[in-house]
Amino acid sequence: MTSATSPARPVARAARERRRTGSLAWHIGALAVLAVVLYPVVWVVGASFKPGKDIIGSLQLLPAHPVGDNFAGLADGISGISVGTFFANSLTYALLAVVGTVLSSSLTAYAFAKIRFAGRNLLFTLMIGTLLLPYHVLLIPQYVLFRRLELTDTLVPLVAGKFLATEAFFVFLMVQFMRGLPRELDEAARLDGCGHLRTYWSIVLPLSRPAVITSAIFTFINAWNDFMGPLIYLNTPSKYTVSLGLMMFRDQEGLSDYGGMIAMSMVALLPVVAFFLAFQRYLIDGMATSGLKG
Amino acid sequence: MTGNRDRGHEGLGRGDLDRRGLLKVAGGSLAALGLTAAGCGSGGGDGTVSLRYAWWGGEPRTVAIKKTIRLFEKKYPKIKIKPEFADYEAFWEKFQTQASGGNPPDVFQNAVGFLRKYDKRGVLMDLKSQASAGNLSLKNFRNGVLTAGQADGKQLGIPVGANTMALVIDLDVFKKAGVDPKAGWTWDEYWSALRKIHDTQKIAGDTGYFTVMYLYDLYLRQHGRAFYTDTDLGFTQDDLTQWWSDGYKRVKSGIVADPKKIEQVAPKSGLSAGLAAAEFTWDNFSVRYEGEGRSDYGLAPIPTTDGKHTGQYLGSLMLSAFSGTEHPKEAAQFIDFMVHDPEVGKIMGYDRGILATTEQYDAYKPTDRTSKGIAAFEEEVAKAGVLGKITPHPSGADVIEAAFLRIGKEVAQGKSRPSAAAQQFFGEAKAAFAA
Repeated sequence: MTSATSPARPVARAARERRRTGSLAWHIGALAVLAVVLYPVVWVVGASFKPGKDIIGSLQLLPAHPVGDNFAGLADGISGISVGTFFANSLTYALLAVVGTVLSSSLTAYAFAKIRFAGRNLLFTLMIGTLLLPYHVLLIPQYVLFRRLELTDTLVPLVAGKFLATEAFFVFLMVQFMRGLPRELDEAARLDGCGHLRTYWSIVLPLSRPAVITSAIFTFINAWNDFMGPLIYLNTPSKYTVSLGLMMFRDQEGLSDYGGMIAMSMVALLPVVAFFLAFQRYLIDGMATSGLKG
Repeated sequence: MTGNRDRGHEGLGRGDLDRRGLLKVAGGSLAALGLTAAGCGSGGGDGTVSLRYAWWGGEPRTVAIKKTIRLFEKKYPKIKIKPEFADYEAFWEKFQTQASGGNPPDVFQNAVGFLRKYDKRGVLMDLKSQASAGNLSLKNFRNGVLTAGQADGKQLGIPVGANTMALVIDLDVFKKAGVDPKAGWTWDEYWSALRKIHDTQKIAGDTGYFTVMYLYDLYLRQHGRAFYTDTDLGFTQDDLTQWWSDGYKRVKSGIVADPKKIEQVAPKSGLSAGLAAAEFTWDNFSVRYEGEGRSDYGLAPIPTTDGKHTGQYLGSLMLSAFSGTEHPKEAAQFIDFMVHDPEVGKIMGYDRGILATTEQYDAYKPTDRTSKGIAAFEEEVAKAGVLGKITPHPSGADVIEAAFLRIGKEVAQGKSRPSAAAQQFFGEAKAAFAA
């Protein structure tokens, strides 16, 4: 090794040079792509400080004369409902959805991954099959069902399914993860006298943290952004979620309040960003491990 | 993973218990869900009834309507109104689901294009019965606008405001170009006005007239036909091919705006963005241009074929009631109050068109320039004696209007040939009628 170093040095330097140019080009390219990707984001942030008239049809990134009117306007609420109400409703919906999905999906996944029972494969296939059903096919039958139960205009139709593990994708994700957990652990638990529920709660669930957190983040984001569900089921305006509140700024027949709309979407992004930042470490971890071992 | 697959151990007793425990938990939570269901009925013990009232529109409309609801509740303390609102697209999406689920609102805002569609599905109440029962007056509607709510001999909606198609123009540009639109001007005069604007002011004349279904309707009416017959389209594929290829030629020659540029400024109108100087639309939509654009805007007459007949009629937003409502009488009383009460007229103004009844029309005196302009425009149209009768739209008209706009835009952008586009449109229209 030592004898090989000296003649190889110029070659190594040339290689380093090449690498450096290569990496420079790579970084410039990446920055260019980043600029393209970030442009709309910066535009939205900039637009939220523009007067309403200047927003639409303008490519200008930053406002010439920044104004805070759009945000100040939010304090008055929309159509007589305070913006805080929309946020509280969305938060309730999203958190219930997270709790429901995580508990029910992991429990279901435990059964599929750790227990052998008759019809397991068939049921698993059927569950995966539900992923192929478009939402709109179920919309009207579901609506009729909840209407008969007199549960429209409550959060129940939106979250009931989440507590019953109807989110097949998350069940699937957790099944794949749990299958990768060493069998010896639950065997040891069984020898120590644990039943299924105890094994699930004390052994499998803690070990599945990455998958659980991944599901939690996606459920939160999905629920926060859900428009169709709240639109169909919620009638009373004071029960509306943020996504429905945003719609009130639009007016096809008159003048849409784009300033207010963009200001509110900026504010609406915050909880999602906060939730994501808080858990992203686990998210990436979760993606990597569940992907590798599944 | 090696053999030794997990064996279920339900037999261990412990597991069995756990499973029962789980079932209990599940049962408990279902019961809890059931509990929250209580108390959703719409009738109270003291004879108070509640009605769901839904509409689409922007925030100003919502604020105004909420005020009128308070007035109504003061006058009818036994009737409670539960408001529901959304924007246009969301409203109809929600309405469709609710109507299919047998749970539409008791009273709701409606438009001509939806009457037969929902009558066919049995959703709309024929309000004639309520009128003869004395709960609702069909008198004092201006300029025969009441017919806008009729189809097949039924009164399916009660108009709240009248509107008609108009040509919104950029006053500055028209003045600088020396064009002065007069009532009864012809299409040829319109095209040469656009040419003049294009040549002297260096902007396009029109934003894209040939994608507007309601304008083509007027054009056909000027020729003794209409966009719709009772069950079908009132023109041939060749007529439409002609209409669209003429339009495309005018885009190419520059007197109609480049559709790509129009698309870029959306959702702003090409007129308020300064890309063109004129746009055909409903007169009550003209509020948006003042808010969006930097110029002054006004309403000009619709061009004619014979120098007199514009083909115009009064369209209308209206209130309809659900045929299956538990409280038909109260729903009718509510509609009656909303269309006849002078105070309501003062609050609503021309937000949904020129107020439909004389009581409300006389009570409201517009102060802003746009509203005054709209009122003057409709007054002139009515005086000119060119208003015809509205043809009720067949079921599927809402889908067809959207298809007309979408396919028309493809023609304008040169993405599809007029003849192929017309063929596609006729195919889609057939499917929409059958749905």
